[in-house]
Amino acid sequence: MTDFHPQVKQLLDGELTLADLAPELRAEGEEALRLLAAVDREPVTLPGTLGARVLAELRRRAEAPGFWRRLRLRPWTLVPAFAAGAALALLLSPPAPTRAPAAVTVRFVLFAPEAQQVALAGTFNQWDPAATPLVRTGAPGVWTATLTLPAGQHQYAFVVDGARWVADPGAPAVDDGFGRRNSVLSL
Amino acid sequence: MKTLCVALLLAIAGTPLGAQQDVSARLAGRVPPEIAALVHQLAMGAAARGLPIDPLIQKAVEGSAKGVPADRVASALRALTAQLDVANAAIQQAGSNRPDTEAIAAGAFALNAGISAKQVTALALVSRPPYSTAVTLRVASTLAAMGVPAEQTVDLVTQIIALGGPATDVLGLPGQVMAGVSQGQGRGVTPAQAAAGLARAAAARANAPGQNKPKPQHP
Repeated sequence: MTDFHPQVKQLLDGELTLADLAPELRAEGEEALRLLAAVDREPVTLPGTLGARVLAELRRRAEAPGFWRRLRLRPWTLVPAFAAGAALALLLSPPAPTRAPAAVTVRFVLFAPEAQQVALAGTFNQWDPAATPLVRTGAPGVWTATLTLPAGQHQYAFVVDGARWVADPGAPAVDDGFGRRNSVLSL
Repeated sequence: MKTLCVALLLAIAGTPLGAQQDVSARLAGRVPPEIAALVHQLAMGAAARGLPIDPLIQKAVEGSAKGVPADRVASALRALTAQLDVANAAIQQAGSNRPDTEAIAAGAFALNAGISAKQVTALALVSRPPYSTAVTLRVASTLAAMGVPAEQTVDLVTQIIALGGPATDVLGLPGQVMAGVSQGQGRGVTPAQAAAGLARAAAARANAPGQNKPKPQHP
């Protein structure tokens, strides 16, 4: 970024006029004003909370020891900050704030007395049939796995003996787009 | 100023690159090259239209994990992209200019579960805070997947929202329907019948003295 002469910064702050500048600084002053005007001409829509967030951050940094304590911010220095903030606001999506999903513990059960191994594959483990094996528990032929999953909608299937994909008979199911069914879990 | 402009340009150019790298990382070693290329192509177009790309990556990985032939995975990916576009348009019809990606993904899933585009719009219309469009659509699609007819599903969800209770009232509907089916197991109660019972109970609550009457929803 261009480092302007201190007097030119005073000009941008409104503390001096062009006529107050030394003759050799007037060209620089005019250039600085032209740049500032070019920034100001851009219609920028800022989030309502951005100003408060920037000011809160400035206050936090002003209270922090070290480099930030020595930094003096002029109003014109906020112009590129606001422009950058607006650009970032446009780049980041979705615009609505998102909450951290709550986790829910779920027990999956399949009755498969003939199976040698059973696993669970779904949207929560990137459909990896090796990631979540079920274990035999309790009554013969009963396989279970207990997982903690984020709130939301999950699709899954059981993988029996590493090859047979089976929908959960105790859960709703939808077409998987490949001619089979995926079980659905809404948390 | 020049530095700032260059930084902004780099940030703008870097976003799609970052997305491409993310897609590549998630597909690496999990899908055939031709499917990876198709996902890249569809995902970049989808992202440019404001659609979520995660469902596309998931579907590609799912297809490969299940041993589905590549041409069939490609068809499923194209069909899913079309559903995301339809869901996006349907939610926008409800007055949301830029729906969030969770809502669009939930809308596409609802379409897959048998809810029509018009019904997605109707559900998005009633989903005003504290009810989120994504949650409403997920619940409706789960009910439809359980076997509750789509029209009955939309009516029930709309009715519950109109009661003005907490958002968990909507979220709990699939569990309540399932409980109704379990309780009536000996009598052969279907999910549709259990949902009808919930609708009757909701209507009784709405008409009870001292209860808030359902309010018309506006976009």
